[in-house]
Amino acid sequence: MTTVSFMVMLPLLLHIGITMVMKNIVVQSIDQVPYDVWVFPGIILLIASVSTFSLIYRDLFDLRIHKKSFIPITLAPYGKTHLVIGFLVTSIIESLVYVIVAMGVLTVLLPEPLNWSAYFIVPLFTLLYTFLLGNLIITFSVLTDRISTYLSITIFMFLFILFATGVLVEFDFYPKTIGTLLSYFPLSMILSDLRGILFFNRVEWGPIMIPVATALGWTWLNGYMLKRKLKQ
Amino acid sequence: MEASITLKKVGKLVGDKTILASLTFGVERGSLVAIIGDNEAGKSMLLKVISGIEYQEFGHVFINGLDSQKRRLEVLSSIGFVPHEIDLDPWLTLEENIRFMGMMYGIDIEMVNTRMIQLARELHIIPYLKSMVQDISPGIVKKGMILRALIHDPDILIMDEPTAFMDAESYRHTWDLLLRLRGEKTILYVSQSLKEVEEAHDRILVLEDGRIALDGSLDKLLGSTFEFHQFQIEFEELSDDLFKQLSKLPKVKNPSRIGHSIHFYGRERNVFFEVLNAATAAIMKDVSVKKLGLQDLMDAKFAKDGIH
Repeated sequence: MTTVSFMVMLPLLLHIGITMVMKNIVVQSIDQVPYDVWVFPGIILLIASVSTFSLIYRDLFDLRIHKKSFIPITLAPYGKTHLVIGFLVTSIIESLVYVIVAMGVLTVLLPEPLNWSAYFIVPLFTLLYTFLLGNLIITFSVLTDRISTYLSITIFMFLFILFATGVLVEFDFYPKTIGTLLSYFPLSMILSDLRGILFFNRVEWGPIMIPVATALGWTWLNGYMLKRKLKQ
Repeated sequence: MEASITLKKVGKLVGDKTILASLTFGVERGSLVAIIGDNEAGKSMLLKVISGIEYQEFGHVFINGLDSQKRRLEVLSSIGFVPHEIDLDPWLTLEENIRFMGMMYGIDIEMVNTRMIQLARELHIIPYLKSMVQDISPGIVKKGMILRALIHDPDILIMDEPTAFMDAESYRHTWDLLLRLRGEKTILYVSQSLKEVEEAHDRILVLEDGRIALDGSLDKLLGSTFEFHQFQIEFEELSDDLFKQLSKLPKVKNPSRIGHSIHFYGRERNVFFEVLNAATAAIMKDVSVKKLGLQDLMDAKFAKDGIH
C-alpha cells in the first residue's frame, strides 16, 4: 500500500514542485514546445532515477554491506556478470512499473494529450535509461562500503541528473562549453533523443547506440569489479 | 576412499598477514570432519576458501576432483555453505528465503517444496516457515540456514558453528539430521564447542596459526599427543621419598605434586593399580581417574609440549 501511494504521490509532487513552477519561468522550449509538455519525459526519467536508486540499494548494497543473503547469492552457480544482469533486469522491470503509473498520473495533468505512440516510446527509453543508470549505481554500490558515503554519492548523482542532464531546462540555457560537455553525457543523450522522437519525429541513432554500447561494456565491467571486490 | 575435498599447498593472506599457511590435506567422501582451533587460527577462512566465498592466494582447492577456481560454476552446485552469522533476508519469510535460493540453483519449484517440507519436518521448523525471519529466534533461523544450504542437495555441506544460538532440543534435532546425512554427504564444520566435536566427528583437524597442528580421530589425537588418562591421588601425608618412588614407576608420565596430592598421566588404567600397590603403606584420602578429552588437548601447555 505504501509503495502504491508513493508511486502516485511522486509524479504529483514533481508536477507541483517542478512543472507548475518552471512553466511560469520558461513557458516554452526554444523549439516552441509548451514547457509542461517538454518537461514530461524529463519528469518520467527522474522518477525512473528515484526508483532505480532505491531498488539497487535494496537488492545489492543493503544485502552486501549488512551481510543479508548476498554471499549465498554469489555462491549460486552464476558468473558475476550474470548476477549484475539480474540486478539490472529487476530494477528495470520495477522502474517500468513506476514509470507506467507516473505516465498515467501525469497524462491527466497535461494541458494537451500526448500522441499514443509516446506510451510505447517513453517506456522503451526508460528501459535504456535505467540500463545505463543502473550500471552507474551498481558501480558505486560495489565500490562503497559505508552508508554515509553511499548516501553522499547518491545525493550528488541525483542533483547531477536533475540539473545537468537536461531534465529541467535545455542545454542552450547553459554556458556554451558546459552545455556542450553535458550534452555528451550518455544519460543526457537518451533524454535528448527521446524528446527529439516525441516532439519532432526525429530519430538519431548515435545518441541511442552510444548509451547502449556504454551500458553493455559497463555491465561487463561491473561483473569484473564485483568479482574483484568479493575476491571470488 | 575417494577424496571429496583436496587442498594442495593452499595459502591465504589478508593484507600482509598469513591466515592459511600452505595447507595440504584431503577429506574423504561422506566423512564428518570437525575443525577446531583458537580464535584467529584460520578456521573460518579455511571454510570460506573451500566453499568458494574467497579465493586463496596460493595453491589449489579441488572439489570432487575439479579445480575450484578454474571450474567454479560446476563446483558451486556441489557445495552448501552455512556461515556463522545469520544472513537470511529479514524482510522475507523463512520459506521465501529458502525458495529463492532453490530457484537460484535452478531447482524445480516442486522439488524445492518437497525437500523443504521434508527437511523442515526433520529440523522441527514447519511452524516457522511462513514467519518473517526478523520475527524468529536466532536458533530457529540457524536451522533455516542449514535447510537453505541443503535445498539444492549438495554433495558437500560446510558449516561454521552449525548449532550456534540453539537450545538443547534444536541442537539434538540438528545433529539427528546431520548424522543421518553422514556417509551420504561430506560434512565439514567448525565449532568452538569441544563437547559437540567430541560427540560428532570421523576426524578432527586442529588448526593453529593457519597450519594443521593435529589431524585424526579423537582417540588418535589423544594417543599420539599424550596419554589417555589423568590420575590424582590425595594422601594424608605425601613424603618426598614416596613422591619420588611413585614418579619413578615406568608407566607413570608427567608426575606433579600439589600439596599432598600426586597428579600423573598413564595410557592404561592398570598404571593406577601399580601406583596404588606401591603406595599401600601411605594413607590415602581420595583418588580420581579422568579420561582426557579435547579440552585437555586444546590446553595450550599440553598441545604444545605434550607429556614427556
